[in-house]
Amino acid sequence: MSLAAMKPARPLPRWLARHETLLAAILIVALIALGSFNEVFLTPDNLLNQGRFMTETGLIALPMTFVIITGGIDLSVGAIVGLCAIMLGYSWKTFGFPLPLAIIFALGVGALAGFMNGLVITRLKVPPLIMTIATLALYRGLAEGVSQAHSVRGYPDWFYFLGQGSVFGVPTQLLILIVLIIAAGVALDRTTFGRTLYAIGANETAARFSALSVDRTKLIIYTLSGLASGLAAFVLVSRVTTTRMDMGMGYELDVIAAVVLGGTSIFGGSGTIWGTVIGLVMIQLLKNGLALTGVKGDATIVVIGGALILSVLIASSLQRRRE
Amino acid sequence: MSATAFVAAASARNGGLRRFASQEALLAVAVIGLAIVVGFINPRFLAARNLSDLLLGNAYIAIAAVGMSMVIISGNIDISVGALIGVLATLSGSMAVAGIPTVLCWLTPLIFGLSVMAAQGAVVAYLRIPAIVVTLGMMSILKGGLISVTGGRWITDLPQDFHLADRNIYGVPMPVAIMVVATALAALWMRYSAAGRAIYATGGNAEAARLCGVNPQRTVVMVFALHGLFAGIAALVYATQLRVIQSTTPPGLELTVITASVVGGVSILGGVGTVVGSTLAAILIAEITSALVFINVSPYWTDAVRGALILATVIADIVRRQRRAARGWKR
Amino acid sequence: MKSSYLVTTIAVAFAATIWAQGANAASKWDGADDLPTNPLGCEAGATATFAPMKYDGGQPTNPPDKAGKEINLVDVPKLIGIGYFNATSKGMQDAAKELGNVKVTTDGPTEAKIDEQIKFIDNYITRGVDGVLFAANDPVAIAPVLKKALSKGIHVVGYDANSTPDAREWFVNQAEFNGIAKAMMDSMAKEIGEDGSFAIVTSTFTTPNQARWIAEMSAYAAKCHPKMKWLETVEAQEDNNLSFNQATTLINKYGDNLKGLFGMTSVATPASAEAVTKAGLCGKVAVVGLATPNAMKPYVQSDCVKSVVLWNPVDLGYAATYVMRAVVDHKLKPGDASVEAGKLGKLNVVNGSEILLGPPFIYNKENIDKFNF
Repeated sequence: MSLAAMKPARPLPRWLARHETLLAAILIVALIALGSFNEVFLTPDNLLNQGRFMTETGLIALPMTFVIITGGIDLSVGAIVGLCAIMLGYSWKTFGFPLPLAIIFALGVGALAGFMNGLVITRLKVPPLIMTIATLALYRGLAEGVSQAHSVRGYPDWFYFLGQGSVFGVPTQLLILIVLIIAAGVALDRTTFGRTLYAIGANETAARFSALSVDRTKLIIYTLSGLASGLAAFVLVSRVTTTRMDMGMGYELDVIAAVVLGGTSIFGGSGTIWGTVIGLVMIQLLKNGLALTGVKGDATIVVIGGALILSVLIASSLQRRRE
Repeated sequence: MSATAFVAAASARNGGLRRFASQEALLAVAVIGLAIVVGFINPRFLAARNLSDLLLGNAYIAIAAVGMSMVIISGNIDISVGALIGVLATLSGSMAVAGIPTVLCWLTPLIFGLSVMAAQGAVVAYLRIPAIVVTLGMMSILKGGLISVTGGRWITDLPQDFHLADRNIYGVPMPVAIMVVATALAALWMRYSAAGRAIYATGGNAEAARLCGVNPQRTVVMVFALHGLFAGIAALVYATQLRVIQSTTPPGLELTVITASVVGGVSILGGVGTVVGSTLAAILIAEITSALVFINVSPYWTDAVRGALILATVIADIVRRQRRAARGWKR
Repeated sequence: MKSSYLVTTIAVAFAATIWAQGANAASKWDGADDLPTNPLGCEAGATATFAPMKYDGGQPTNPPDKAGKEINLVDVPKLIGIGYFNATSKGMQDAAKELGNVKVTTDGPTEAKIDEQIKFIDNYITRGVDGVLFAANDPVAIAPVLKKALSKGIHVVGYDANSTPDAREWFVNQAEFNGIAKAMMDSMAKEIGEDGSFAIVTSTFTTPNQARWIAEMSAYAAKCHPKMKWLETVEAQEDNNLSFNQATTLINKYGDNLKGLFGMTSVATPASAEAVTKAGLCGKVAVVGLATPNAMKPYVQSDCVKSVVLWNPVDLGYAATYVMRAVVDHKLKPGDASVEAGKLGKLNVVNGSEILLGPPFIYNKENIDKFNF
């Protein structure tokens, strides 16, 4: 993009000064510091447990990275989680679907919700922020209306395996997240699809003129965003054994924080899955580490907010120094 | 061509009288139209008492939306305004309970709000961190900090003369008067002053604005500072209305304010929209909420209906704008 | 061109309102939680009778024996930052000071979200505490993490908002749901008469306690005040201004038809009282509800609100701490019928594993100034 990127090789290898590496360094420093304050923090037991808790946010953060790379945003993901959770329980209890079908139905609802977002964004050219703020209200409202504020509980035991079970000691949902992280990373880095995302984010008009299927790609990523929200809803319901219409409230900000912290520019055109993962892990482990050290909830929120600003500040100023 | 004249000509074409008449008129029509329709179903909706209560109870959202619109027009966004209003309200109330002179209790939130927001604006403008990141972080800091400091204790026992929102000025309730005056002053300032039009220019195309002699960084800081001022005024109205101040962040307030701005025609791409639109939109959204109760929509469905109406309004606005563009208007 | 938009807008608005009318599925006022109700008798002093039940709580696995030794407890309420849980926290601190060998930390989410609450409890499990006191945002969703605590040998005692019985050892209940329902409905009937009509302002429909109270109120009214008319229930989250606006909307909508407002949370009741005061309807519209005394003092003093139904949340927190101490000291075991709770005396065990604080407490003009929370 800039002339600086085309300069001849500098003494410092490029990968070392990338945002993601700087962030990883900050993360490691923070982990060591927190680990020194208490012994339970860096144990595999605790870390795996944290992996379990961060899966819902992580699942949604993957397509959110795609969306933000194209210069868009999706604020309705939290509401879609609530809607899918309700639909899972509702279709099982009220429609009488067998539970596996209900799960697929819930995922389908999520994909459909995301598809609607994408459709209006691409066909009617409504800016993503505006569209998803409106669907945030609509989908949450639908969750409340359909459920009539009832919860659905009493699932069979096998249902809880996803949210509460482990495979070889690793929480089930974390395994799924890892697989999807690898898939997303490969898709972003090595496929035309991924390249198209960067192109759209860098300059959408140029991308269109280069015969890239901009609209179809956008439609896909917003649908994926909804689908991921549906999957997160499934994991959440399995973890807490009940459905509530207020599930997922506030997820959108957590997800965006993780993605942006990871170096994805909100203006589009740059960002990696790897960065998102670091951002995700950083926020989760910071919260956990602080809590274990005895910092209370309200002070933790303050520290996370400060850490977010500080990390982005450090990483981007170091990057600019390099340029 | 002088910088100001150029900017003036550009924005006159961009934000000119024609469009002012259109989106804002649409909203005004919607406000009046909805009132009439609901009035048919339940005439009590049109009672003067009800309409005035509607405006009184929601004026603070419109006031905050004035500042938010400015921020969005300049090409940025602010997610921390809800938390800030919570902090400012608590600050003001605590000072009043501590016996500090009432006028100081009223002025402090304005000054504090202005400073906090200006600081954020400076970080956005000079350190070039995206506004969404800065304000997201600030929101956490303010939210957590508020609980840490107050321990969640509510403020009761406010002195009687603290309640600014209960007063009338020339017979008009204070919150409504403040809302109207704030909107009018802001609208006039944004259209007729060079600094105001610089906001549109910065939002539309920062580089072009810079080439025309507008200083985008200073404009952004100024915009955030003003936004802080309006947030302070909104917090004042919010805090002085009831006898209890909850020392927590009003839930979802930032989203409501942003929605009001967006429905009011402010474009997230920057450079387009007016504060009159956002005030009308804030009124419309409050009206919809009240109307849904009046026409007996099941309480389980009110949020969905309101969401659908907001979606419809937003889509209608965008489609209308595209039709315009297709017919040769610039935006 | 403008006129076509005008027509479209009005048409859309009209269509939306017609559709919205259809969306008004027969709203019953039943609290929406599908659990059975058990209304009390209609006479003045009728209290709940409790059939003896087997102990149905959960038990910790191999808890370390800390009888007589110092214990560290964590209290995770529904949320922090509201007067009610500030009061329960104060009660816990009072009890801790009296007992001398208990330390209680109150920590919780800033919004009433179950997912956040679960994470808080989980962190404290990892950190290692001797006991968890909780007030659940959702009785079923909180069960897995509480069972995890039990499995790690941590004692679990709930208060204010229950979980499923097998996820905790004991639950300190402030008052029976049907007792509160009776107190509320009887107070309202006394003020507005047997054929008055009322509306309800609640937090959300998914808050379990509120849902239960409304369900019991519905059943009790059907039994003992059948002519009283329920008009509507509105949600107002835990936000003061929103509650005020909703209450004002109800007053404006029903006008003279509205004789009473129920406030179901410590946020909704003062806001409703404020709405009635601002509308100049003190004395004409009754406000009955659950609230903390400080927020209600101005309204009770001005005779706008005759009585505030509650229990003493400070006592609730106090009792919960004493129960936890008794459990650790082996003084309260499954199958016991009562427990000593310091200055509160002997508290009875009901419903298998619930400890009852006592009948609801009514704050009114005579006694409200004695309290400061």
